[in-house]
Amino acid sequence: MFKIPKEREVPFGGIVPAPVGENRMMVTSNWRTYRPVIDHEKCNMCLNCFLYCPDACWHEDEAGEKMVWNADYCKGCLICVSECTTEALSPAHELDFEAGVVRLEKLF
Amino acid sequence: MAEVYEVTVWTRGVSMDKEGRDVVSALAKAADREGKFVQAFDNYEDLPDRVGVPVRKYARISDEEIVMRYNYENENPDVVVIVDAALVKGVNVLRGMKRGGVLVVNTNRSPEETLKFIPNKDTLGAIACVDADGIAGRATVDFSGTEGGVDASGLGAGIAAPLAGAVAKATGVVNLESLAAVVANREALKRGYEEVVVKTI
Ligand code: SF4
Ligand code: SF4
Repeated sequence: MFKIPKEREVPFGGIVPAPVGENRMMVTSNWRTYRPVIDHEKCNMCLNCFLYCPDACWHEDEAGEKMVWNADYCKGCLICVSECTTEALSPAHELDFEAGVVRLEKLF
Repeated sequence: MAEVYEVTVWTRGVSMDKEGRDVVSALAKAADREGKFVQAFDNYEDLPDRVGVPVRKYARISDEEIVMRYNYENENPDVVVIVDAALVKGVNVLRGMKRGGVLVVNTNRSPEETLKFIPNKDTLGAIACVDADGIAGRATVDFSGTEGGVDASGLGAGIAAPLAGAVAKATGVVNLESLAAVVANREALKRGYEEVVVKTI
């Protein structure tokens, strides 16, 4: 059988090291113009946002009491806003927030 | 080699791709009418076929023939144009800019408010803010003109028109008349030229 010498082995996925949790080399928050903002009063924990987000940016907090948003990887597609069952989510312009600056030097 | 005037446009993949391309094409075509040597191009380095991803478009304008072989990026832009204001948080848009360069941003915010997000603003000679969305409506989502296809909606039918007008006003690199000869939405072009707020730094 053909065998690749050990020193020529390439990690699976090739260019970007495979992340265990989040990949700090592929932060994608600079894709978004609007971010979803949650009103915890209205949210009934239906988990639609968690289910529909294509980037896995919504999850429950440890106590399972409220939804937590991941600012680093949300691309601002706003699918969660349209799928929210209680209108707890609304879009807000990114420049309305001082935080969340990534300012990449090189895109990749 | 002659001075080459470099314009870099930051836009977003797919959704505002045409608008970004239209800005560089309009500026290059207008300068061409004024007898300049021009180039307008983009490349695949930014992987532009992803909705919302930050991507760049380039133009070069010069009095003499432009000889920049194997260089597919403007390394030291004189002008940087931001098609979606939120990009200033996500990327160091002034990277490589020549001292005294001009930043043109599509925003209804004031220059002061926009500068808050630009820590390396000392490089800038001026910042120009123009509410291109407000003038021309939302970005045209249109694939025509992409990859050699026929451009059905025309050059500068959307927010690219006021942005090109703002560049003309803030930098003087081309004049309004030559832009008007190549841009589809002349009214928006003129309004961009007139309504842009320029702040010298
Ligand atoms: S805007 Fe899109 S990417 Fe961001 S949290 Fe909502 S669904 Fe996920
Ligand atoms: S979709 Fe809306 S109501 Fe449901 S968990 Fe998410 S924020 Fe709460």
